Amino acid sequence: MKSFLRLFSSVKLAIVLLIIITLASILGTLILQHRSPAEYADRYGDIANILIRLEITKLYQSLWFSSLLFLFAVNILVCTLSRLSPKLKKAFQPKFETEKKKLLSLKTKASFKKNQNLEKTRDDIQQTLSSKRYRLKTKEEENRVFLLARKRNLGLFGSDIVHLGLLIIILGGIISGWGGFRTNLNISEGESIPVPQADFHLRLDKFVTEYHPNGSVRDWKSTLTVLENGTDVLSKTIEVNHPLSYKGFVFYQSSYGWNWENPTLEIWAKKKNEPAFLEKMELGLGEKVKLGDENIEITVLNFVPDFIIGENNEIATRSLEPNNPAAFIEGWQDEEKVFSGWIFAKFPDFGRMHSDIETDLTFELKDLKAAQYSGIQMSRDPGANFIWVGCTLLMIGLCVAFFWPPREIKVILEESQNKTDVVAGGIATKNREDFQSEFDNVMESIRRLK
Amino acid sequence: MNESTLFLIAFILYIIAAFFYFAFLFSKKDTLAKSGYTFAFTGLIVHSAALILRTIESGHAPFTNMYESLSFFAWSAIFAYVLIEGKFKIKKAGPYLMLIVIGLMALASSPLMPKEATPLVPALQSYWLWLHVSVTLLGEAFFAVGFITSIMYLVADSKEKKGQAGKSSLTAEKLDSISYRTIAIGFPLFTLGGLVFGMVWAYKAWGGYWSWDPKETWSLITWFVFALYLHTRIVMGWKGRRSAFIAIIGFLAALFTYFGVNYLLAGLHSYA
Ligand code: HEM
Repeated sequence: MKSFLRLFSSVKLAIVLLIIITLASILGTLILQHRSPAEYADRYGDIANILIRLEITKLYQSLWFSSLLFLFAVNILVCTLSRLSPKLKKAFQPKFETEKKKLLSLKTKASFKKNQNLEKTRDDIQQTLSSKRYRLKTKEEENRVFLLARKRNLGLFGSDIVHLGLLIIILGGIISGWGGFRTNLNISEGESIPVPQADFHLRLDKFVTEYHPNGSVRDWKSTLTVLENGTDVLSKTIEVNHPLSYKGFVFYQSSYGWNWENPTLEIWAKKKNEPAFLEKMELGLGEKVKLGDENIEITVLNFVPDFIIGENNEIATRSLEPNNPAAFIEGWQDEEKVFSGWIFAKFPDFGRMHSDIETDLTFELKDLKAAQYSGIQMSRDPGANFIWVGCTLLMIGLCVAFFWPPREIKVILEESQNKTDVVAGGIATKNREDFQSEFDNVMESIRRLK
Repeated sequence: MNESTLFLIAFILYIIAAFFYFAFLFSKKDTLAKSGYTFAFTGLIVHSAALILRTIESGHAPFTNMYESLSFFAWSAIFAYVLIEGKFKIKKAGPYLMLIVIGLMALASSPLMPKEATPLVPALQSYWLWLHVSVTLLGEAFFAVGFITSIMYLVADSKEKKGQAGKSSLTAEKLDSISYRTIAIGFPLFTLGGLVFGMVWAYKAWGGYWSWDPKETWSLITWFVFALYLHTRIVMGWKGRRSAFIAIIGFLAALFTYFGVNYLLAGLHSYA
């Protein structure tokens, strides 16, 4: 136990751990994280297996990295606590200095004589130091006075506040890792879905996309309603950076998309060399429609929003955006397929039918409609509040540590023959140059006081 | 007067300032350093006007692409220098700092950097972005000053050891302490902007305060290096050369976080 405490209260260990954690973090930014074994084999060849075995491919979630962070946290805790009680003693049970020699061995010091009695000198010094916001304590003996002046005592504890904040942040991280939950929900307008891991439903009432004048997306807005046992309890319009919170779950606008499984297509049929359109049809996938008084039925067999011919000549979609919508249609006559082919919304002249019979029919894909869905990321993160508390303490501690340096001035006065000997020494661990000039100023004005 | 004209005027003023500062470095005439400071300060004011104008014209904070963020970084570096110069009198650091600023301004004006203010993608429309980037860059600007004073320390120290030191008031010991004081300002700013505000913004926009994306990780690495600087110094009493080396590594890590991650590693922060 003793050696455990000795080890974990050592700052050397902290430095070693800090260096190891830093190097490991760097490694994690050099090796791609969370990819498939095949991709690693492709990229790193023979060492791929070693990387996977050592969990370097999911470094920040690996057991060994978490253990390092844990050891670091224990280190902070033990180190801070073990130094706390001497510090508290120093702050709350300060000692007077009774030996002039000790004060004169300090770097910041002064000694001079004043041609006035002990009481007057003591009052002068007290007044001067108080005006510089020092708090004073005095101890009097026969013809001697000991003064202890201090300010910004809190400054001693800046680093402890920082370390406490860090511990709370690490604790928050652990809680997030254990109890956190994140997933994506795609909801179409009007649809209501049960929220995973929760006892309520969520309904999307309205979804709009707003654009900048140049056509790029400015914002997405989803009006969401929370339902408990079938009744509405709360409605809110969320947008990026403005989520909805309910019962510890937070819903973020993250993306949008179309439900291309079941689009409604508007197809116009035309006869070659005739200006008038023969028929304007609206149909979904698989639906059959009879074409005017021709003895022909039309059906849509396939649809892709962003047509592309893939590597093996198969048809695919490049994205889920309607960049190049295309439909594959077939014509049937008397239970027999007579023609088929792709038609393109953006390239009406491109569509060509492969046909078994003589036909002068052509088709155009005029319009398409698909339900838009809103992409919502939901998360529950019980650690988040710890993080914010920890961050606040961290920042307060940093400000205290760096901008609230404690100061201490000790003075010994000794009277002999109506003159007073003044010996003073100053102690500051931070910003010594500033302290030195303040100390010199104070001593100079005490010396001048009549 | 439009933004790019003001930017150009500020750039020219910085170049003139650098010219005076280098003349000071070689001739040791204090008046030259004073003129350098005056030009740099005037440049800072014109540059501020340029940034404000840009904000008004584009309707969003001026650091959403590389041009804007470089320009703001240069501004922060001068700002940090003006503050540190006011407190510690380090005119000798002026010439080197002006070099860094001119480098940043030149990069910002290079034709490779797209200059148009483009509309923001939704995730970037948040005042947390504003706070996150400005405070982080300001913190890094103080690291830049600390970087320069640390290098100056190494030079001064080796000169003093060889007994070649002039009778400058800017001794190696003083440079060492100035480096610490500068980093002591940069560290809280960087912590607040880079880590705390970054986490708040990520939480607001994506629902997770930390995702180990390369830019986040490199901010953390930078922060660790400076934590190392503080602890080796305060607790183990390292001063001088070793401290200076850590400060230099810390600033290089900050630079890598700022530039390197964008061009060499891939991640969420690909916009700026
Ligand atoms: C990344 C993690 C850490 C951060 C950000 C941090 C931050 C700080 C800060 C800001 C200070 C004040 C420095 C100054 O006044 O110049 C400090 C002091 C200190 N830290 Fe840490 N610390 C960390 C980890 C640790 C660990 C693991 C240990 C334990 C071994 C430790 C031990 C100390 C000690 C002993 C002091 C001096 C306390 C004093 O005299 O007031 N720190 N730390």
